[in-house]
Amino acid sequence: MSEQKISEAIGPVPAAPVHRDPLALIVRFQSLIGLVLVAIGGVIFSPRRHGEILFLDPDNIANIVRAVSETGIIAIGMTFVIITAGIDLSVGAVLGLSSVVTATMMISGGFGLIPTILAVLIMGIVFGTIQGTISSRFRLEPFIVTLAGLQAARGLALVVSGNQYINISYGDGPGLAPPVFAILGERLFNNTVPVATIVFIVFAAIATIVLNTTRFGRYVFAVGGNERAARISGVPVSMVKVSVYAITGFAAALAGIVHAGQFNFGSANDGMGYELTAIAAVVIGGTSLFGGSGSMVGTVAGTIMLGALANILQLNNITPALQLLATAAIIVLAAVLQSLVRRREGLGR
Amino acid sequence: MKTIQRGSWRLSLQAGLLAGTCMCMAGVAQAADPMVKACAKDGQFIIGFSQANNAEPYRQHVNDELTAAAKEVPGFTLQIADGAGNVNTQTSQVDNFITQKVDLLLISPFEAAPLTPAVKRAMDAGIPVIELDRKTVGDPGKDYTAFIGGDNYKIALEAGKYTAKTLLPEGGEAAVLEGLPSSTPAVERLNGFKDGVKENAKIQVVAEQAADWVPDKAQTAFSAMLQAHPDIKVLYASNDMMAAGALLAAKGAGKQVKIIGTDGLPGPAGGIEAVAKGDWAATFTYPTGAKEAIEMSKKILLDCASSVEPVVTVETTAITAENAKQLMGK
Repeated sequence: MSEQKISEAIGPVPAAPVHRDPLALIVRFQSLIGLVLVAIGGVIFSPRRHGEILFLDPDNIANIVRAVSETGIIAIGMTFVIITAGIDLSVGAVLGLSSVVTATMMISGGFGLIPTILAVLIMGIVFGTIQGTISSRFRLEPFIVTLAGLQAARGLALVVSGNQYINISYGDGPGLAPPVFAILGERLFNNTVPVATIVFIVFAAIATIVLNTTRFGRYVFAVGGNERAARISGVPVSMVKVSVYAITGFAAALAGIVHAGQFNFGSANDGMGYELTAIAAVVIGGTSLFGGSGSMVGTVAGTIMLGALANILQLNNITPALQLLATAAIIVLAAVLQSLVRRREGLGR
Repeated sequence: MKTIQRGSWRLSLQAGLLAGTCMCMAGVAQAADPMVKACAKDGQFIIGFSQANNAEPYRQHVNDELTAAAKEVPGFTLQIADGAGNVNTQTSQVDNFITQKVDLLLISPFEAAPLTPAVKRAMDAGIPVIELDRKTVGDPGKDYTAFIGGDNYKIALEAGKYTAKTLLPEGGEAAVLEGLPSSTPAVERLNGFKDGVKENAKIQVVAEQAADWVPDKAQTAFSAMLQAHPDIKVLYASNDMMAAGALLAAKGAGKQVKIIGTDGLPGPAGGIEAVAKGDWAATFTYPTGAKEAIEMSKKILLDCASSVEPVVTVETTAITAENAKQLMGK
């Protein structure tokens, strides 16, 4: 699909192999396949009680999708960036900054729900835009710029919070947050579907539509596939590059709001290391770090797969060390598969 | 103790809710239903322990002591889940324990407010929750079964008073290495020490820096402090690891600084040995409460207790040159 989109945007490119490589097909759906495999493993190895498979217990499924919702939201933003062959290391720190600002605005600032959420989301977009602009204007590696962004966001979070953590208490009046904000930590539909998960899935759906059906989505693939060709054929490359960092900034801010609502808390330490979990989910989802190809559905599947894996290992009381090793193996496997496909299609690198 | 099980499920629930109130009336408490219906002298029980972060040596020490204490009880199986310093991970692990229907939940929440909803879900599912070392929001005996642990503020306050009276009676400059900024224990220990040294007006706290609980950052931070304030006489480190780092900095600068650690960990890298060797002036133990937690679990699961003490505060021990050698063997 991605090749098709590039060609739409930038005119003829060397024709893709007519017969799709079966390996390419596997890579395209690798995270879905992985998710199915993990789910099957989950069912087989799940502890049982009174014949009931604990892994499939609706409560347990809800636990899995709730636990991954924040990193999932971030991973969705990250997918845009990685398709353009970029990277954003600042997202975990921006999550922390956003949770602190959310808590501070509502508790000490006395702001209402809507102004707080809008301000935090705009802050995330601005933060990402600044990073994207610096990177694109000065032709700096996004790795460096967002590494600096990570430090800046954590520093700002400490300044805003005054080195303290901010508890969010609910009620009417000064120093209290609107009670409706607590809904982010609850479950809807007869206490089954976590609200955080709903935010994740809705955001994923919107992102999928944007990436796969809009002109902007095609530009994103084009910039990552071949930047020069994209530029020559009139793709506003700089605008696209800045926009994808604005999207990750927005995603991280959204995750920060969800975090503050889920945990009634804002701390500068929130979201530490989330950037790496998100990158892992994106890579497992089949998006190439070289840019130009990727899939949103893959990212969602990769995110849930990592959560399901952690869940099944804990249900069986298996040491977290094994979980890290398993994740490592999956990342390497995903990357190796991608590299094999690239080589077969003669894309090299 | 033999308990006759009678009355409806609803009654036992009410009794459970009333358990806190019954504490003061021993006679009434005996007649009440047990906290866990499936309790039995010779039963098999799974205890889930949700640990905040295995990467901290103190928490590893807690895990070791808990594992050892649980092994003594034939019917107990202890499962430890590592929250890895992340409230989201820890929440999902508590949820998993609820799914597994563990018989009792032990938890050291990484942060208070974020883990409160998860603890409530466990209590709602009828699982007794004993909080170890750190609390969630709410009242022990009501929002969770019990709290066992030390008091960070009080321990640091003791260290401050010890500095004011014994280490620096004539006054002088003191410095503080703080834990991870904005984490609860870091804030409590910082405030405790600063309040403690106020007893002696001639002591000034000239520098306080965060070193995030780790020795390398402590070494860097304390080296810089000694550059800026060469007359620092006492350093209070909010944990043993940072005290170890500070010692390296003091040695590097060729300064004699009286170092106080916190936690009093055993073993060759721990604070007790450092004090015994004369490297540090003192360390203040932060008791794990592991034995107390398993004792309480036995009361609930094996002895069918209808109520337990809602707060068990384990006192700190000051480890100084006088008692360090003697405590080392233990």
